[in-house]
Amino acid sequence: MTVFISGGCKNGKSALAQRAAVRLGGGGPLYYVATMIPYDGEDRARIARHIAGRAGMGFETLELARDIGRCLELADPGGTFLVDSVTALLLNEMYPDSHNGDADPDALTRCVDGLLRVAKCAGNAVFVSDYIYSDSIRYDAFTEKYRADLAGIDRALARVCDTVLEMCAGHFIVHKGAWEE
Amino acid sequence: MDLIIGGAYQGKSEYAKRLYGLDEAGIFTCREDGAIDFSARCIDALEEYTFWCVRNGVDPVESFRAREDEWRESVLICADIFCGVVPLGAENRAWREATGRLCAYLAGRADTVTRMFCGLPQRLK
Repeated sequence: MTVFISGGCKNGKSALAQRAAVRLGGGGPLYYVATMIPYDGEDRARIARHIAGRAGMGFETLELARDIGRCLELADPGGTFLVDSVTALLLNEMYPDSHNGDADPDALTRCVDGLLRVAKCAGNAVFVSDYIYSDSIRYDAFTEKYRADLAGIDRALARVCDTVLEMCAGHFIVHKGAWEE
Repeated sequence: MDLIIGGAYQGKSEYAKRLYGLDEAGIFTCREDGAIDFSARCIDALEEYTFWCVRNGVDPVESFRAREDEWRESVLICADIFCGVVPLGAENRAWREATGRLCAYLAGRADTVTRMFCGLPQRLK
């Protein structure tokens, strides 16, 4: 089964995703696919919070900043994979050189292909993205391209996943499929 | 009138095309020039129209109210630009406010209101 979770920041998406993965895993292999590359102390503190938050839940952590489909080769593909987050993955694929220079034009295709492969081939998969589309800022072209591509990934995942949830203030809205806690 | 709202790139116009069988010619996309061709079945990007309104001292609710006969059977699409922090710039604040008031007015008049989320429609009204 596949679950796609998005919504605003700091609403509990990761916590919901972890609970979902544990439940779908049913005691089988459980993989936390961490995509974020820490660039400073703030990032490291955030990662430490996430690691502490999932301690004891049974996840094996796979660090994959790019080429997300590889998680199927690095682990038991029949297991349950939690990809957190699509947002960081796209950033890493667009700007492989420490987020400097020009965006890689093939980043979107690579992300979509890899993520859809995980959705199709993994025993179970849970994907976490970020809903960054409803503010009133007129962004520069680089940021706008990033938003457009992330939304492209979101729509592709929402199309194929069995369940689509939006997290809002610690509660979820079911947009597709069924989910109860 | 059917109102479709949602964040940027959420598949609003694609949904309208699919649901109402429209091609590009059936959709008028607003730009920052204040023009709206109400002969099109679907009017997209109302947030661009409201941006023009703010810059030109026009009240978008009043301008829509005055032309209700022209959009009563239309499909109207507006971006949800309401979930960020309060914009620092006065113009952006005014734009957000004007767009929000227009959406609230149109949602009140609409037969249906649909919100798009990652390409999936959520019926609000």
